[in-house]
Amino acid sequence: MSKSVRVGGHISRQFDEELDEIRSRVLKMGGLVEVQLDKVLDALRDGESSPIIDIEKVDDEINDLEMQIDEECTQILARRHPAAGDLRLIIATTKSVRDLERIGDEAQRVADMVRHAMDRDASKKAFKGLLSLTEHVKEFLHETLNTYARMKTRNAVKIMRRDQEIDSEYSRVVRRLIEFMKKDPENIADGLDVMWAARSLERIGDHCINICENVIYLVEGQDIRHQNVDEVKEQLS
Amino acid sequence: MNTAINNTMSEIAKETYQTVGKPLLDSPKMSIKNTNVFYGAKQAIFDVNLDVGHNQVISMIGPSGCGKSTFLRCLNRMNDTIDICRVDGQLMLDDLNIYDKKVDVVELRARVGMVFQKPNPFPKSIYENVAYGARIHGLTDNKVELDELVEKSLQRCGLWKEVKDRLDEPATGLSGGQQQRLCIARAIAVNPEVILMDEPCSALDPIATATVEELIHELSENFTICIVTHSMQQAARVSQRTAYFHLGKLIEVNDTSTVFTNPEHKLTEEYITGRIG
Amino acid sequence: MIDQEIVAQKRAAQLAKRHRAESRFKWFGRLSIGFGLLCVLFLFTDIISKGIGAFTQTYINIEIPFDEEKLGLTPQSTEAEIKAASFGSFFKKTLREQNPEVTGRKDKRSLYALFTSDAPLILRDMVLADPSIIGTTQTVSMIADDDFDTYYKHSYGRDLPEDKVIGRINDFQVSMLNKFVDAGVVEKRFNTIFFSNADSREPELAGIKGAIMGSILTLFVTLILSFPIAVATAIYLEEFAPKNKFTDFIEVNINNLAAVPSVIFGLLGLAVFINFFGMPRSVPLVGGFVLTLMTLPTIIISSRAAIKAVPPSIRDAALGMGASKVQTVLHHVLPLAMPGMLTGTIIGMAQALGETAPLLMIGMVAFIVDTPASITDSATVLPVQIFLWSDSPERAFVEKTSAAIMVLLGFLIFMNSMAVWLRKRLERRW
Repeated sequence: MSKSVRVGGHISRQFDEELDEIRSRVLKMGGLVEVQLDKVLDALRDGESSPIIDIEKVDDEINDLEMQIDEECTQILARRHPAAGDLRLIIATTKSVRDLERIGDEAQRVADMVRHAMDRDASKKAFKGLLSLTEHVKEFLHETLNTYARMKTRNAVKIMRRDQEIDSEYSRVVRRLIEFMKKDPENIADGLDVMWAARSLERIGDHCINICENVIYLVEGQDIRHQNVDEVKEQLS
Repeated sequence: MNTAINNTMSEIAKETYQTVGKPLLDSPKMSIKNTNVFYGAKQAIFDVNLDVGHNQVISMIGPSGCGKSTFLRCLNRMNDTIDICRVDGQLMLDDLNIYDKKVDVVELRARVGMVFQKPNPFPKSIYENVAYGARIHGLTDNKVELDELVEKSLQRCGLWKEVKDRLDEPATGLSGGQQQRLCIARAIAVNPEVILMDEPCSALDPIATATVEELIHELSENFTICIVTHSMQQAARVSQRTAYFHLGKLIEVNDTSTVFTNPEHKLTEEYITGRIG
Repeated sequence: MIDQEIVAQKRAAQLAKRHRAESRFKWFGRLSIGFGLLCVLFLFTDIISKGIGAFTQTYINIEIPFDEEKLGLTPQSTEAEIKAASFGSFFKKTLREQNPEVTGRKDKRSLYALFTSDAPLILRDMVLADPSIIGTTQTVSMIADDDFDTYYKHSYGRDLPEDKVIGRINDFQVSMLNKFVDAGVVEKRFNTIFFSNADSREPELAGIKGAIMGSILTLFVTLILSFPIAVATAIYLEEFAPKNKFTDFIEVNINNLAAVPSVIFGLLGLAVFINFFGMPRSVPLVGGFVLTLMTLPTIIISSRAAIKAVPPSIRDAALGMGASKVQTVLHHVLPLAMPGMLTGTIIGMAQALGETAPLLMIGMVAFIVDTPASITDSATVLPVQIFLWSDSPERAFVEKTSAAIMVLLGFLIFMNSMAVWLRKRLERRW
């Protein structure tokens, strides 16, 4: 059973506009988080830290947006008494916004670690694998935001399945880093920075999963947290 | 906009009106089966199946003219007063077929009380209002018993403290909310099993509404309550189950928590999120 | 987009026009009310100025020596003896003796004619009431004849041209009047006779008590019959009758009956009650029947309106409590509709009180000198009495007519204010 949440406009067009505004702000917030990751990617590709120097400004913007969206959601709850799909949209949005903000924080941390390592002229070997992990996570985040924009449960489930890929890639990176650090104790400082960065990237993936779960709750009205993906798929089909 | 409405209407006409959700219960207090209501040649209610649970509050919502009040009035045969109104189907109150020819409406209405949209106390004293039902049904044997009954009924409605010193004053002098609670006290004084409420708060201010809603909640411990309301928030607040009517059809019945977070039917969703009039 | 200034100008022009129209309308209203008030004022002044005289009556005080010899009676005489005595010649003789200067036959007759023709009967009744006055001399306030009364009240002492003088009185009688006035024996008193006597051929003895009693008895019969019948009809039609062609037909007919000329009800009464059922003529019972027929539609219509005005929420409340239809009507609808019904009834009764035409048809126009004591005694009613007197040639009946109209209007005003009072008093707010 698949339903479209947008069953036609509200009688109050202003309400529609408010909801659209919230949705577009969430997407804007997602866009900013993507920009953060892009900067990290640029830095990793170029092997220098200049692209991530002003990354904190982006983070400030994200934090502002989070507060704005939360305020708007509060206003809608207080004034519109949303029900059913509208209520779920508000609930899912406040939760997703929190996840997005966390993603922003994690991206910031990745950037910090990368810059930290680069500023110490860390060995290129240390970064091996981090670029591809970041690329994957970035793609993962992009897909998640698309899912939120289009409200498609099927995509959400697909994305949730792919979380395992991120996890295993993260494990690979960690294993490689351990090897790298074992070789020479000098490498430990660099290795730890990269390890922290990889850890944050993995966390970003988890937050993306949360957002997907929120989308499923929003569209299907079912809370599928703490279940495995196959069960979820069965429930929704 | 127009086409959207036409689409939904044609969609509804094609459906077999299989109510979605959970209209049936295991051991219902009232059980309504295949009920149709006609005003003259016009059909107002189409093939409704619905169970009302014991000591439960069920709310009926839907746009104006959807037949929710008409349906409610079938439950104690108040529609009998309308000449052109015809009801067919099986409406059971426990083991009693409400529309059986042998059923005395006086007896039925003593078991199924009613509270109306506009507070309508009799233009008599507060005491007489509450005592009236007991008098006509001969429930009390003497004045002492009657006094007790009046006090108990008023107390259950939280009105006793407010009116105990002016029982002889006209009921029409009370405030709107007090009048409505008096009407509820009047209804429960005859100790009915089911209380029907037809938009009981639509003429009241929010504070009085809250008082009445609290009262409904308390009464649901001992009475089965069917409430028609066009305040969706009210339905959400007071009822355990919610039935959504649309153009004479019972579209969806579900637990209130489900209806207001995740309704099954598109029409229900549209109505409670404010997408159709 | 129209310029704001132009819009404001146009609005101002329109506003002035509207104000003018409104004040014009107000003045039309005031003029109509003024005209209406003027008419009422005219009517009342006319009636009161004409009729006020009837509330006073001229009396002439004369000394009557109840001489045993002249009467041929003693204080011990029996009732039969007193009744057989000739008080007529006794009274004339007394008058002649007291006015020895009157000689001619014609003058003597004029002298007698100054007093009411019932003077001997009045003296006889005095003696009958107290035979011990025989042998004594009593001062008796004798009722003056209507012509003398009229002249004294309206023309005496006023320098009026010949054609304005009212009261058929000759020069001799004028001189007698002057003599009486000089002697101080003429006086005007409140006219109790008007209220205590029934009709009479002699205006000075005619009163409206009979007519009032007739009206009361007739209205009593009307009320007893029409109120319950009308209320029952109204309740049945409003609350119980199915809405179908037949009840529609009845409704139309009731509305039509309210507009039927009342004389037709009189003819119906004559044909049905008197000719067919053989009831007596001229009695309040039949009058009441006829007026019942006439007032029924009025009361039914107003009662139905009163029942309709009872808010349906009250019916719902009672029915929802499990009250039966009859209980609902008796406990709730009827008490609420009662003020309206009573108002309608009183207005119907007021209508019946003023009705003449149908009563003429059933013979209540007869000349009846006795005050009716029961609904089967011959009687007349106030409006018919007015009609009768207005037809009488005697000048004195003109003012009696107006006085009777005043009494009738008084009753009507009283009944209508009762209706207003009842409505104010009994109507509940809900």
